[in-house]
Amino acid sequence: MGDFTFWCVALDKPWSWQWIAYPGIWLASITPMVLYAIAVRRHPGPIDSRKARFFYAGMIVFWIATDWPLGTLGAGYMASAHMIQFLLYTVGAAPLLMLGTPEWMARGFLDRLRLTRVTEWLGGNYLMCALLYNGILMATHAPGTVEIFRRSQIGSAFMDFAWVIAGFILWLPIISPLGRRPGSAPWGRMVYLFMATAVVAVIPASFLTFSTTPVYALYELAPRVTALTAREDQQIAGIIMKLATVPVVWTTIAVMWFRWAKQEGAMT
Amino acid sequence: MNVVRYRVFALALISVLAVAACGAPIPTGKLQGVVIENPTEKPEFTLTDTEGNPYDFAAETEGKVALLYFGYTYCPDICPTHMAQIAEVLEQYPQLERNVQVVFVSVDPDRDSPERLHEYIKAFHPSFVGLVGTPEELEAAQKAANVPVATIEGEPPDYAINHAAWVIAYAPDGLNHSIYPFGTRQSQWNNDLRILADMG
Repeated sequence: MGDFTFWCVALDKPWSWQWIAYPGIWLASITPMVLYAIAVRRHPGPIDSRKARFFYAGMIVFWIATDWPLGTLGAGYMASAHMIQFLLYTVGAAPLLMLGTPEWMARGFLDRLRLTRVTEWLGGNYLMCALLYNGILMATHAPGTVEIFRRSQIGSAFMDFAWVIAGFILWLPIISPLGRRPGSAPWGRMVYLFMATAVVAVIPASFLTFSTTPVYALYELAPRVTALTAREDQQIAGIIMKLATVPVVWTTIAVMWFRWAKQEGAMT
Repeated sequence: MNVVRYRVFALALISVLAVAACGAPIPTGKLQGVVIENPTEKPEFTLTDTEGNPYDFAAETEGKVALLYFGYTYCPDICPTHMAQIAEVLEQYPQLERNVQVVFVSVDPDRDSPERLHEYIKAFHPSFVGLVGTPEELEAAQKAANVPVATIEGEPPDYAINHAAWVIAYAPDGLNHSIYPFGTRQSQWNNDLRILADMG
């Protein structure tokens, strides 16, 4: 009988399209939805149904990013799959989950973890959010980190959750479920979002795209899944890292801009 | 947040980045493969290439860096990864390709026909040479190259083959200065092929 796999991990065998069961991922995907539904049911006041749809959509994105096949490909076969996972967590699942969490639920959850004050503080501190998000980005994409963490299930799960946390931190000043810091200017949030996602990420993205040799031994030495060479796969990963956030970030900035313009227009 | 928490956070972040920075070794001008302390001479054997012509390994690779590998086309991971790694380096640095000859000897005579081996090896790189032989010829070639003779594991038709999973590198001086196990990075190949090419 093979080893029990509860989470995606680098596998030392050729890629196969044979489905692999990861019960830990199912648990991590279903449990929040169940708890959310129970909490909403117990809450005395009315609930915006849109929020529920956002939350469940966020969990579905989380599940797609984590489970077979994308999770398995990203854990040990393709750098580009690793990057798609990162993007799905940070600009997909995280903002959807935040949009779907009512303030009373967020406060209740954070109060239990004694994280309410630090979350409120972070939500008003653009610099710290940008530093933390990019720090996690750099640390989790460094070759040593990928080599060490993706080879164990615990490490691989840790990396996936680190990316989700990074996404929460990134979007905290924009769509915090605890509400926005009074007096925070829309233009400040737009500049923050652009700077946080477009400046530091250029460094690892360029490294991946223009490096003359593969950076990650894990993906370099993995059995080929497609006709792409290890270097071509890495170049695609770099391009994804640099460009894939653009539609989400700029759409968000555009929405903020037009809302701000509308507010200004209403005031004048 | 007070100053202490800032410092703790900064220290944690620096520690993570320091660990994370551990990556591939930087080329140093020295061979990064497994160096052979007492280099051995290129083995003398003649097998058959995929065109059906006799191929004298020593004569055909004279004056070049010869990368000799004993494998088989049904190998699931080690053989194709070795070949893909070397092929990528040669594709990227054509000047290396002129001085390097990869010779893949199939140790699976029952399944690897010359046609199958030709298609397999040329898919990696057009310059790669595939050799076949009788079981007796293959055993002699492996012994001449000082590698364990391949053995079959399992039953036909889906058996695996236990074989020497490293690439043997011979410099233009005709000596085996280094071998390369599975896991050799492209950066290491790039470094070592240049050094080996200068050993003439």
